[in-house]
Amino acid sequence: MARYGMALNYKSCINCRACESACKEENGVLLLKDHYRIWVGVKEAEGEFPNISIASQTYHPSQCQHCSNAPCQMVCPTNATYYGTDGMVMVDPVKCILCTYCINACPYDARYVDQRTMTVDKCTFCSDTRLAAGETTTACQATCPTKVRVFGDLDDPKSEISQLLANKEYRQVKEHLGTKPKLFYIV
Amino acid sequence: MNTFSLKKLFFFEKTPLNLLMAVLTVGLLAAFFAGVANYILHGHHAYNVTRQHPWGLLISMYVFFVVSSTGLCIISSIGHVFGIKEFQQIGKRAIAGAIITISSGFAVIAFEIGHPVTMMIYNVLTPGLTSAIWWMGTLYGLYLTFICLEFFFLAVKEHHTLSKIFGICGLLVGLAAHSNLGAVFGFLVSRPSANGVFYPVYFILSAMITGCYLIFLMYGFRYKMNFPDKVQVMLVKLSKILGMLLAVLIFFEIWKILTALYGDMPERAATILHAVQHPNFWLGELTLGMLIPFTVILLSNAQAIKATVYASILGMVGIFFMRYGLVHDTLLYPMTTLKRAEYELAPTFVEYFPSITEFAIGLGGIGLSLFLYYIADKVFNLDETEGAHH
Repeated sequence: MARYGMALNYKSCINCRACESACKEENGVLLLKDHYRIWVGVKEAEGEFPNISIASQTYHPSQCQHCSNAPCQMVCPTNATYYGTDGMVMVDPVKCILCTYCINACPYDARYVDQRTMTVDKCTFCSDTRLAAGETTTACQATCPTKVRVFGDLDDPKSEISQLLANKEYRQVKEHLGTKPKLFYIV
Repeated sequence: MNTFSLKKLFFFEKTPLNLLMAVLTVGLLAAFFAGVANYILHGHHAYNVTRQHPWGLLISMYVFFVVSSTGLCIISSIGHVFGIKEFQQIGKRAIAGAIITISSGFAVIAFEIGHPVTMMIYNVLTPGLTSAIWWMGTLYGLYLTFICLEFFFLAVKEHHTLSKIFGICGLLVGLAAHSNLGAVFGFLVSRPSANGVFYPVYFILSAMITGCYLIFLMYGFRYKMNFPDKVQVMLVKLSKILGMLLAVLIFFEIWKILTALYGDMPERAATILHAVQHPNFWLGELTLGMLIPFTVILLSNAQAIKATVYASILGMVGIFFMRYGLVHDTLLYPMTTLKRAEYELAPTFVEYFPSITEFAIGLGGIGLSLFLYYIADKVFNLDETEGAHH
């Protein structure tokens, strides 16, 4: 049994947003304003003209952190949000009552209401689309031109992600909340 | 129980106040059903809730109604459960009010929860025991059962011991349910402005205040401001209790705000500063909900019952803003996780204003309460039965 996570060389991101398009295409996410499983945040350049710090402008690809201690799972009244066998945070649409408590509880804004199923949707690391078909990469990873994303098994010491995390310094988002996220930003 | 017929049911004295209440009730009730019809046609598209602001007016109104219910239950228990003689007369009226308000709350929330039937099934089959919503919902279901039984043994088949037993059960389960409702917000680790012990405790306190306001309103309407001595004595005492509770609430609020602002903690301080500058807080919640009723009670030494009844109307408007603020302020701060400028727009405080459908269903719920109260008052004798208490 694997424990999937993702490392992001975010400094290589060029904000082309091919990942956003690939995710929507692969997972059939609707083309509506609030409908996105992943996104690229923009940290704008700091300073006043002419002293603008070019280096301070960075892009931050992000998505569900697949927390090991997920607040969204904890607050779900019907256990519709659950931990999958590979440690991923999943949603069972049959049990979801659309109380949207999980959207309130998620510190990462990773959840939204899917207008097709009228349940709360989120990133699944393409488990029901690509991984189920035998692929070993997610759509966002496969399409990335600058190889920002590295997806893999955190419990396998030989996996690319484990090797990367063993050799590089990284940081995580809002880890002070005790969520134990599984997205790692390589610095 | 009174004997009643349809003719009797719709007969009432045509005084200006009665007519005003009748028009208000019918208008709000019509708004409720119109809102529900629009929701059935358009689903959640009829609401202004978004990914960034997933809860809105309907959650606020649900909280408004269940706070009213718990408050009435707690205040009625002063006489009915704890045996304070002067308060025994409010038992039936308050418990009827508690049943009516929580039913209205359930009616409103049924149109906010996307799949209420699925909820009833999977609440039982796969309960989420770490979820405050699960505990709140389940305990409120139990609470409604207990207070219905309490009312049955108070007003239909009078049995003092059984009504007291169910009264105690209703009170305890109601307190547990209500503090769990506070925990629904207090447990949100993602929202520093709401996270913590404050809400579960404050919910009980504000429920008691809401209960007092509603008792004043129900008695003011029942006796058209000409209170018999026995009622006058009870209301003066209730007024003193209300004054003390308001003082405690103001004290709580001051320290909540100071603690939130102190040290300029990220997310929390900015959110609370933004919230307290809005008229919803300083005019609605603070002035109408707390300061005016408190001043009336303080200046009259709790003797001005008529003025307190009028102040209770303002108080309930303030309580509405209190509930609205609870939901809106919790969701004010955008979850800007690495989204410094999502889609080229700098993140600001999340904006939300309810849609017409949300107003229709939410405020229409008040019409539902008024209508049910009118029926209850016709069908049952909600005044104290002579010799009912020993």
